[in-house]
Amino acid sequence: MPTVRLRDASEYPEPARKLFELSKAWFNHDFKHPPAMSRVMAWDPEFGGPHGRAMKRAMAPGEWSRGEKEMVAAVVSGVNACAY
Amino acid sequence: MEGDHLWYEAAHVVGITNALNVAADGLAALPAVTALLPPVAEGRAGDPAGAIFARGDVPPVFRLLARDPFYAADVWAATRRAFGDNRLARRFKEALAFAVSLTSRSEWGTGFHLAEMKRLGVGDGGVMEVIGVTQMFSSYTKIADTLQLEPDMGDIAPVDDSPAPGGSPR
Repeated sequence: MPTVRLRDASEYPEPARKLFELSKAWFNHDFKHPPAMSRVMAWDPEFGGPHGRAMKRAMAPGEWSRGEKEMVAAVVSGVNACAY
Repeated sequence: MEGDHLWYEAAHVVGITNALNVAADGLAALPAVTALLPPVAEGRAGDPAGAIFARGDVPPVFRLLARDPFYAADVWAATRRAFGDNRLARRFKEALAFAVSLTSRSEWGTGFHLAEMKRLGVGDGGVMEVIGVTQMFSSYTKIADTLQLEPDMGDIAPVDDSPAPGGSPR
């Protein structure tokens, strides 16, 4: 169980809800509800905004493809023993 | 990166990287340990480990493992298999190993796999990309753990129904 109540998308202000649409586009998946991490990062846009931009910059195709970077991310998550 | 084969390969790289880092940082790099368990000098390793040293590019940790030449030979065989070009390229596997080593704060592994990446032609930009992904997902994972978030994106990946290598379809 999460230690906080994850708010429904409708409980967020309009600019945050736009971020949830961007999240759908990023993952190319039509989520029923925005992913928990997207809702957490939208809680404080002054943190989530730059953090999300840094993530998108790091994950953008460059010398490595987006797919390769997703695998690096999965490996890092595994080493950190993070099930999420 | 679809298909389970890629992920099995990645998992093998993660596992053997961690195994080498544990022995390199926890044993081979500690004078108090090597005083009691001296690494085997090149040319003095017994068979079948002796053949490992003939290559000349063996990580030094194998000199310590070679105290048991049969064990060292099998670890070396598994390492070579895991890091060999297959469906994932060696170059990318070194990037995975670098990310694993950085995440687990392995001084030996981080330096070794960074050097391997550079040797295999990864540029500064490519290295910084791996550092960026590693750092960002070291952030996301700790945020998720702190709030005890439950996985909610597992079903977006396609299922691979192919059999194990050499096996029969179900």
